[in-house]
Order: sequence, then C-alpha cells, then structure tokens
Amino acid sequence: MDALIQAFGLVFDPFVLAVIAVSAVFGMFVGAMPGLTATMATALLVPVTFFMPPVPALGAIVTATAMAIFAGDIPAAMLRMPGTPASAAYADESYEMTKKGQLNLNMGVNLVFSVAGGLIGVAVLIAAAPLLAEVAINFSSFEYFWLACLGLTCAVFLTNADAVKGFLSLFLGLLLATVGIDPSAGFPRFTFGEVELMQGINFIPTMIGMFAVSELLRNAVSVRDAGHVVVQQVGNIFRGLGAVFRRYWLNFLRGSAIGTVIGALPGAGADIAAWISYAVSKRFSREPQKFGTGHVEGVVDATSANNSAIGSAWIPALVFGIPGDSITAIVIGVLYMKNMNPGPMVFTENPQLIYAVFLIFILANLIMLPLGWAAIKSARQILRTPRNLLLPVILLFCIVGSFAMTNSLYGVALMLVMGLLGWFLEQHGIPVAPLILGLVLGEMLEQTFVQSMIKADGAVLAFFERPIAGALGVLTLLIWATMLVRAATHRPAAIAA
Amino acid sequence: MRLNDALLGAILLGFAGWVWWMTTFFPAFPGQDYGPNLFPRILAAGIAACGAMLVLRGLRRRAPLIVLESWTREPERLLSFLLIPGAVLAYIFLSDALGFIPTAFLLLVALFLWFRARPVVALPVAAGVTLVVHWFFAGLMRVPLPRGVLDSLL
Repeated sequence: MDALIQAFGLVFDPFVLAVIAVSAVFGMFVGAMPGLTATMATALLVPVTFFMPPVPALGAIVTATAMAIFAGDIPAAMLRMPGTPASAAYADESYEMTKKGQLNLNMGVNLVFSVAGGLIGVAVLIAAAPLLAEVAINFSSFEYFWLACLGLTCAVFLTNADAVKGFLSLFLGLLLATVGIDPSAGFPRFTFGEVELMQGINFIPTMIGMFAVSELLRNAVSVRDAGHVVVQQVGNIFRGLGAVFRRYWLNFLRGSAIGTVIGALPGAGADIAAWISYAVSKRFSREPQKFGTGHVEGVVDATSANNSAIGSAWIPALVFGIPGDSITAIVIGVLYMKNMNPGPMVFTENPQLIYAVFLIFILANLIMLPLGWAAIKSARQILRTPRNLLLPVILLFCIVGSFAMTNSLYGVALMLVMGLLGWFLEQHGIPVAPLILGLVLGEMLEQTFVQSMIKADGAVLAFFERPIAGALGVLTLLIWATMLVRAATHRPAAIAA
Repeated sequence: MRLNDALLGAILLGFAGWVWWMTTFFPAFPGQDYGPNLFPRILAAGIAACGAMLVLRGLRRRAPLIVLESWTREPERLLSFLLIPGAVLAYIFLSDALGFIPTAFLLLVALFLWFRARPVVALPVAAGVTLVVHWFFAGLMRVPLPRGVLDSLL
C-alpha cells in the first residue's frame, strides 16, 4: 500500500505530467505520419529521456507508444496509408468505410475501442505481472534458457516471413550480441582491437539505425514527388458508437483478448495482434462476405487488439527481461540504464516504480480520448506537414540521438551501418524484429546456456529435469518441430488469411 | 536492390566461415569444456545452414542475380537515396572540425533544398531546428556536442 501511495506521488508530479503531455503529442504526431512508426518514436525518445529519472523516462515511452498505435489508424482511414504497421491489417477496410461516407464512425470506433482495448491490456498487465514474478523467483538458469529460446522462437514463428529468413535474422542478432567481452571467460570477441566495441554493440544507435534510418532511406526516394494530400473533414465521431458496441461487444472482448495474449508472447507485438485478430474476426463472422467492403466488424476486433497488445507486451519484459515486442526491447535497455534490471526482483525491490508505470499506463489510455479526438480533428494539418522538411529533421535527430548514447562518433557510425543493414534485410524479405530480439537476449541466452551446460556437465537431459524448465523445453521443441514441418511442406504462415 | 537467394546464401556461407575461422583464435581454458568460442560457433553453423538453404532455393528458381528497382535508374531518386548515408558520413567527417552548429545547419539546408523546399522556408527552419536541437542536447542534457569553429564564441 505504501508503495502505491509513493507511486501516486511519483506520477502526479508537475514535471512527470508535463513529460507525459509532451510525449502524448509527440506520439500522436509520429503515429499519424505515414512512414514514422511507434518503434521509431520510442528509439528517438530514449536519448531525450536519457538523463531523466526512471518514472518520467518510462512514462514518456508508455505514453508515446500508446498514442502512436492509435494515431496510426487516422491516415489509414483517410489516405489508405497506415500510420504505423499496427494499422496495416485493417487499413483497406477503414478506407472502404471512408469511401462509403463512414469516416466519422470509423474514427470513433478506432478511438474508443483503442482506449478500451488498451485499458484491458493494462488490466491484464497489472494482474498478471506480479503473480508471474512470484513464480519466476524460483527460476534457475535452465528455466531462463528455455524462456529465452521460447521468446526467440516466437519472434520467428509469429512473423509472416518464411522461417529460414526469420531464423537467419535471429542468428545475426545473436551473433551481434556476442561482440564484446564474453560473459563466461572475459575474453574480448570480434572487437578488432576497438575499445568502443569492448562493451558490445550499443543497443540504442542500433535501434535508431534499424527502425529510423532504414525508414528514411525508403522514404527518401519519393520525397521530391510532392503530392497534395486531400483529407476529408471529420464531423461528430461519437455518433452511432453505442449501436456498434451493442452489436459487436463480443468482437471487442475477443480482439482485446487476442491482442493481450499476442502482446504477452515474446517477440510479437501490436502489428501481428492486429493481423491475427482481423483474420479471426473474419473467420468467425456471420457475414464474412462483407469484410473488405467497408464493414466495421473487423475494425472493432483489430483496433482493440493492437492497443491491448502494448500493455501486455510489458509482462514478459518486466518479469523475465524478455521483450514482448520491439518497443519493449528498447524498454528493457532503458530499464538497465536506470538500474531497474528487469526480473522478478524488481517487483520486491522497486514496487513503487512498477506501480508508477502501471498508473502511467492507465493515465495514458485515459488522455488518449481527448487527445485522440483533437488529433482526428486536426488531421488535415498534421498530414500536411511537408515531408521534405520532416525527413532531414528526423535524420538530424537520429544523428544527435545516437551521438548522445555513446558521447562519440562511434554511435553515429554504428547507426549508419545498422540503418543500411536494416534496409538491406528488408529488401530481401528478412524481418528485422528477430534480429533486435536476438541482440537484446543474446547475452542472457549465452550466459544461461553455458551456465546450464557447466551445471549439467554436458548431459542434455538436465535441461528437462526441473518441471517448469521441462514444460518450457518441450513446448519450444514442439514449436521447432511445427516449423520444420511447415518449412518442409512449404506452406506460408496461417496469419495471412 | 535484391540479390538472388543463391548469391545471398553464398555470401552468408562465406560470412559464417569467416566467423568460425575467427573463433579458432579464441583461447581455450583448461578444465572448462564450454568456452567463449562455443556460442559463436553454434550461431555460425546456424547462419551457414540458412545460407545453404537459400542457395538451394535460389538455384531451383533461377532468378536473375541482382534485381534493381526502377528508381535506381533514375539519377534524381538515386541521389535522394544516397544523400541520407551521405549526410551521416558528412556529419562524421565534418562535425569535429566545424562544430555541431555549422555542420547541422549546412546539412539541413542542403537536404531541404535538394528535397525542393523553398529557400525562404529552408533557411529559417534549418537555423531554428539547429539551435533548438543544440539547446536541448548540449544545454539541457549536457551532451558534449563538438564546438568546432564556434569554440571561441560560445
């Protein structure tokens, strides 16, 4: 109880509230701009929040991501361009609604169900994280080894790309994580005598490169064809929402549940949650023939799902230090920087900070309602921001942000290399998310693997002897087997329904 | 730009071999079977396996060795693309000598103008953004941005 009161004090502080307000506006803007993603917003926020105490720093990330995932729906409906990948699943459906003259209803549904879905994800986070933490306190290196394996496997399994390329990305990420002093013997690996590389590949410049610079490279090609954006004016977005809710409340609950589960699974985030819940909605709908013609049903499912995934993605991140998606991969980096090392102990050592994060999550979802309304109303102005000015400014932010993380040009050079690598991988249909997860989890995976091997003295069966480790191990092996079968029979993932 | 799967796979096989070769220089510790070279070797083997599968796949499909998108044949678009890494490289090589403020301002102006912003807009926006970024990172957050030629003035 004391911790909760302390948490209120931490959150309702003028500076923290100001940071939340500014990040909310920033998140809305980034989310609403096609080509700028929520992950990019988070990566660019880290250098800015670097010198802040943990609560405002985490608050900025929580707020900006929640806003960005909703705001991505705005250009999806108005221009058929999803503002973030999380809105891609139902961008066509939303745009068809707009063409039928239902833009108001679509915006209202997106806003209100994003808020409600987000709150459900947060509720599950608040309920599940401390419970899981109590279980996790007894975990040994065997459990953590399998958890890391399971997380990395999910990252490959759930992306839509083919398994070979997914695993390739994962192995590259894990290999990048081996750069620097090795955890078992203290030997510098792959450092080529560079002092900067001894500490390993710095994570934030890598993220900025992979998620911001590579996006700039893709965008740069078309900046000079200035197109005029024509956006419809939005009227009363709340009319007719009651009827939608009465008719589709089950869809809302189902979408939120799917989103929460996918978000909590390591390695898959809001975008995959939206794809899967949209596909599920279509399969179980009484009128599947209406999907794709501007039907609100699938939008309810998917827009609830992507926002509920944001909150639940924090569950494995806080409890095990295993990211639920690429945004929480950054969050884990931030937690380490703030000396709040993720893991079950953080719930007993710093409960006030955890409660503060929960409170900010609730707060962020509540202020999404008025701010989202304002963003919808001013969409015309936001979408008119000249891209020829925006792109160079973002590039400058990337450079300064990366510089700030290492206080040297090494960060800038690393960002550039990773940006080009990220662009190259995407060109070849190789997903970037498994690489990022591999980079974050590489050290943990290697450490627990080598520790477990030494403890077991090479006996592989010891990896299955403890009950939870055994269950996790069997589950991981089952998923591997499924993937092998899938690869052998050459069927694409079931997600693209 | 898209390489044929077979070519990409071959590059990956070479890369994996290089990683394995690097690990042969890692020291072994007597009495400990699992040293610093174990994990990188597993990963090198994994990358090699993926590379081999890509080679097989590529040979079966017989796609052209490299596919270049249409924009790479339009000099204007190609230059727009190259300007992004070019600007970062310029920052890396110039910022220490020139200092952050002149470098950032010049980079922004150059990019703005190339992307067809009007000079009336480009110059003040570049100046404003440069000063705000400098104030925030150097002033507020104490990031040691290079001072360069303005050292005596600031």
